[in-house]
Amino acid sequence: MDNREVKFILSAYRPGGQDANDPRFAEALEQTRRDPMLERWFQDSIAFDTAVTENLHAVAAPPDLRENILAGVKMSRPPLHWSHPFIKWAVAAAMILSATLGRLIWYEARPAHLAGWQGEALRTISSLVAGQSKFDAQSHSGADLIAWLKTNRGPVVERLPKNLETLESLGCKTFSWDGTPISVICFMRPDGGLIHVVTTVSTPATYRSAKAEPTFVRQGEWATATWREGDRIYMLALEGSGEQLRVYL
Amino acid sequence: MAVATMHMKIDFEQLVDRQYAPLFRFALSLSKSEADAADLTQQTLFLWAAKGHQLRDRSKAKSWLFTTLYREFLGRRRHEVRFPKVELGEVPEEEMSISPNMNTLDSGMVLEALREVEELFRTSLTLFYLEQFSYQEIADMLEVPIGTVMSRLSRGKAQLRQRLFSKEETLGNKVVSFQSEKRRESYG
Repeated sequence: MDNREVKFILSAYRPGGQDANDPRFAEALEQTRRDPMLERWFQDSIAFDTAVTENLHAVAAPPDLRENILAGVKMSRPPLHWSHPFIKWAVAAAMILSATLGRLIWYEARPAHLAGWQGEALRTISSLVAGQSKFDAQSHSGADLIAWLKTNRGPVVERLPKNLETLESLGCKTFSWDGTPISVICFMRPDGGLIHVVTTVSTPATYRSAKAEPTFVRQGEWATATWREGDRIYMLALEGSGEQLRVYL
Repeated sequence: MAVATMHMKIDFEQLVDRQYAPLFRFALSLSKSEADAADLTQQTLFLWAAKGHQLRDRSKAKSWLFTTLYREFLGRRRHEVRFPKVELGEVPEEEMSISPNMNTLDSGMVLEALREVEELFRTSLTLFYLEQFSYQEIADMLEVPIGTVMSRLSRGKAQLRQRLFSKEETLGNKVVSFQSEKRRESYG
């Protein structure tokens, strides 16, 4: 191995000494130990590499880059929540827990049944939770989802119930029932379950299902509260008890 | 559910905290402007948010990010210009021995000189200096043989030394240049 070859090989030797035990460098390193001139070149090379490394590490990234990345990801959050196996298990666990608690705590009298649009909304939500359908938009910010719905002409909640404002959202979806547009926004509760705000417009078909004061209806494992406000009709729904639901009204 | 999501969010934020600045520096060495570099960095981390969970070996996250950023860069470049073909000839020994005065270097000057190195060599060089990837890791990331990486590092370093040397000369700094061994031998 001549000196040019040694220098060629040692060009790939990292200045931090991480490659000291790499056999590919052994012969070249041995040769530098035997040749003072080569040893001097090698020390100079290490010093040069160290100086370049230090100077490059001193280059600062733009101050707002980190926040832009996090905000951008938040708004374009992929369907990773539902496709990751761990998340699927977590969702399943939350559903089982909610169902068990629901059975234990729910004593409220059963009113007749939900209207057609409400049943359709619960089916849509169940499909989202089971990962069988996807959100139209995903964000951890309810305000962002409301803005998205407004932009996309979906029926949108005028103001969120007070205790929902502080919850982290998952996503929203729009669909229609009998030609009536409906939207749903899903939020994560602090106890690990989910809660959903369904919004539709007041039509002859939906008007009868709601009054100004919330009406509580239980269907299966679902606890729902429905009310009317202006030309909007809202339904709050969760898998659990009426008591759990009342906290958010 | 909320706990799992929070864990993922925290993991992602920690990854961003650790890698966004090194990725930006790598992007800055490749691209023409700070805005392009910031955009490449963001795009890479967005791709991680979308596809990162498919990576089974989490210890490979860093390599994945740098490889992805490089591929994104190449993808964009393909629309702009075809790569010039550069022959990987031998580096004259004199060029491997040019030594700029390390005390006068600053980050701006080093970055500028690095960006003047031919792109083919610059990528390997930046991965080597910025994150101290091994020649084997660089070879895996760029999908080239180990010998090619060594050649690119050798030639890239020679070019970088030349560029820094020229900058110091322009600034009128005193430059210490080691003579090549061949020259020394001929004097002796």
